Amino acid sequence: MRRRPGIAGLQSAAAARDQYRLVGENVAKIRADLMKEQLATFRSHLEEFARKHKNDIRKNPTFRAQFHEMCAKVGVDPLASNKGVWAELLGIGDFYYELGVQIVDICMATRSHNGGLINLQELCSLLAQKRKTAREAVSEDDCLRAISKLKVLGSGFEVISIGKRKLVRSVPTELNKDHNEILEVAQVQGYVTVEQVQKALSWSSGRATDALETLLKEGLAMIDDGHRDGKRRYWFPCVAPISVAVDLMA
Amino acid sequence: MQKLGDFKLPYFFNYPPYFTLQPVRETREKQIQLWKELILDYCRSQKIFTIALEEDFPLFSNPVIERSLTHEAKEVFLNALVNEGRAEWMDKHHKKCLILWLRIQDWADYIINFVRENGFEDSVMTVEDLRSGIETRGTDLAGIDRGVLVRALKLLEQKGKVAIFKGTSADDEGVKFSV
Repeated sequence: MRRRPGIAGLQSAAAARDQYRLVGENVAKIRADLMKEQLATFRSHLEEFARKHKNDIRKNPTFRAQFHEMCAKVGVDPLASNKGVWAELLGIGDFYYELGVQIVDICMATRSHNGGLINLQELCSLLAQKRKTAREAVSEDDCLRAISKLKVLGSGFEVISIGKRKLVRSVPTELNKDHNEILEVAQVQGYVTVEQVQKALSWSSGRATDALETLLKEGLAMIDDGHRDGKRRYWFPCVAPISVAVDLMA
Repeated sequence: MQKLGDFKLPYFFNYPPYFTLQPVRETREKQIQLWKELILDYCRSQKIFTIALEEDFPLFSNPVIERSLTHEAKEVFLNALVNEGRAEWMDKHHKKCLILWLRIQDWADYIINFVRENGFEDSVMTVEDLRSGIETRGTDLAGIDRGVLVRALKLLEQKGKVAIFKGTSADDEGVKFSV
């Protein structure tokens, strides 16, 4: 634009700026309105969907997981409040709270055996045993969801991944990287020796012993001096085969 | 699941570290608790009254996982039972242990129940009859340790519920119930 001198020039430039701003605001407003409308439609559709498939959501764990996934993608948390429209609609809030309480029960009952670290798979099968009478099936996804709700209690319920496995931690013990690596090695046989740890992770014997002793003190490991070769084995009940903790629950 | 005769073994019996005394206090407490229950359950089901620490005892080794309890471990577990009044050392050196899967008091109650249910009030039986007679067959009294039985009877005598007297043969005693 050719620059025009004087006050008139400045004034017309300011006026143009105002105009642009107005137009911009208008556009933004229209967009926001449209968005709101879309969201409202979406919400009502989602509610309708939930209402329609209520039974599937409650009874079928796979379907439930997919529903959760869909909700998460659009930023809706059906569990956010027990009083919200979702809980009223589905009653799934209660479902997860109930599950949470049962999970706490199991973690407490098996704690003296596994030191407060339990295999997610094992937790699920114990949960299934405990809920024999309940109608709805429970999946690992449900467990994870219930555990995430337990976080608000601040008691340090957490899911950690060790290798391919997921473990549920119910004690405030912080596991450092060394400990996690040992647990990963231990998954293969359920136990490790100092030598195996040294070899698998290329550590010094001091580092391996230190980490193992810590895990022992935390109650996560148990020693076994009974093998023929005389080498001490450190067993980890949290990665042990499923059967070990079963009769501890009885 | 593994079995010893008709006895169902618990799962922990197949987990090797339970055969090594655990150094960490909480873990050891749990371990002792499990073994205590196992020993009592097993002895009850097999009607075993004494365990000799230096002899083979099926519960104290698991050939499947090639683990056995050390002498120290056996003594720790049995000692825990002794402290609870569920077992007694039979000698100073802790080589033999008497397992009371029923306490003496419980045995006394058991005898009274047996007497009432079978109409032996005011009858006379010998101690041997109680242990191996046809009357007690199929009850827990069959095959009971003689020492345990006599102690239970003595307890009942103190309460005036039985009278014990020397029989005609020197090696047996008679019991008259007066429930």
